[in-house]
Amino acid sequence: MDDTGVLNAVLEAARAGRTVALATVVRTRGSTPRHAGSKMLIDPEVGLIGTIGGGCGEADVIDAARSVIETGSARLVKVMLTDPVDSWSPAVCGGVMEVLVEPVPGKAVV
Amino acid sequence: MSVTVLDAAAAALEARRGGPAVAVVARIPGEEGGPAARILVREDGTVTGTLGDGELDAAGVALGRAALEHGGARTVTVQAGGREHLLYAEAHLPPEELLIVGAGHIAVPLARLGVMLGYRVTVLDDREEFATPDRFPAEATVRRMDFSDPFRDVPLGRRTHVLLVTRAHKYDYDCLYRLMHADVQPRYIGMIGSRRRVRAAFQALLDAGVARERLASVRAPVGLDIGAETPEEIAVSIAAELIQLRRGDAVHAREDGDAIPAARPLHRVERVLDRLLPQEPRHG
Repeated sequence: MDDTGVLNAVLEAARAGRTVALATVVRTRGSTPRHAGSKMLIDPEVGLIGTIGGGCGEADVIDAARSVIETGSARLVKVMLTDPVDSWSPAVCGGVMEVLVEPVPGKAVV
Repeated sequence: MSVTVLDAAAAALEARRGGPAVAVVARIPGEEGGPAARILVREDGTVTGTLGDGELDAAGVALGRAALEHGGARTVTVQAGGREHLLYAEAHLPPEELLIVGAGHIAVPLARLGVMLGYRVTVLDDREEFATPDRFPAEATVRRMDFSDPFRDVPLGRRTHVLLVTRAHKYDYDCLYRLMHADVQPRYIGMIGSRRRVRAAFQALLDAGVARERLASVRAPVGLDIGAETPEEIAVSIAAELIQLRRGDAVHAREDGDAIPAARPLHRVERVLDRLLPQEPRHG
C-alpha cells in the first residue's frame, strides 16, 4: 500500500470514531528501509496500514503508538537500526530513523 | 486557525487526487512528547495555520515552498524563543501523468505498470482498433487522435512523461516536432526504436531546425538496460527508468547515507545523440 492508502485510512478511522496513531518518517541518517515522508497507520482494531520498513524498526514504533494513543500526546521516536549483524536482530540496516508518532482522535461523524 | 492532522491528511489527499499542490509543514515535538503544530503552504502562496511563533512560521513557509518546488520531504532545525525546533515539510502533488503514444504491444503492459506505480495514464493512437479501452486497465484513459496534431486533446505539463512507442519513425518525428515546440517541456520524453530508426528521426528533426540541446533531452534508447526483449520486459525497463527519474530527486534530498546512485540518464542520452549523429567538427 502506498502512502495515499495510509492517508485514506486515517480519514476512514476518524470517521468511524476510532482513535489511531499515525507514524511518519521525518528524518533518516545512514541506511534505512524507507525515506522521509513514509507513513504507517497503527489502528488498534484493524492493525497496520502501510509500512515504514517492516521488521527493521517497526516494532519500536508500534510500542510508541500504544502509549501515544493512551496519553494523546505526539512524540518523536528515534529508531536505531544499528544492531550488530551477528545479533540476527532485524534492526541491522545500519541507519537511524526519526519517526513522528502522533494520535489521530476519532471524531463523531460530521 | 489551527491545522489538525486530519485537516492535513484531507488537504494532502485532495492534492494527490489532482487538486492544488500543498506542503504540510509540522513543528516536530521532541522525544519528551507534545503537540505537532502544523501549517499548510499552497502553490499560490496561501498559508493556513501557525507553528506558534512568527519566526517559526517564516521558516516553515520557506521550507514548505522548497518542498513544493522539489517534491518529497525535508527538515530544518530553527532557533526560536531560546530553543531549537525541528521543522518537517512534505509535499503532496497532483499525480504524475504518463502519456503513451501508440497503443500497440508495449503500450498494454506499460499502461498497467503505469497505473500500478500511481501515474495517471493516457494512451493515444490514431487507429480505432488499437485505441480501445478494453485492452487497457480501467484507470487508463484511451483516446484516438491524429498524428497531424497528436497532443491536441491532452495537456502537456511539467509532470507529464511522454513515451513514444509508435509504429513508425514518421510518427515519432511528428510527435517530437510538436513536443520540441511545446510551451512547456514535459518532465520526460522517451522514444523507442532501433538505433537506425532513432537516428533517422533525430536527423530529420535537426534538419527541421530543432535545437540540438533540446533534442538531447529525449531518452532514446528508452528504458534501463536490463536486456529486455518481450513487450512486457521492455515495459518493465521503461517503468524502471521512470522510477529512477522519480526517486532521483528524493535521493538528492537525503542528508547523507548509503544513497543509491542518482539518476543521470540525461548524460547518457547526450552521449547517444553524439554517437548517432556526431557534431560537425568546428574549423578555425
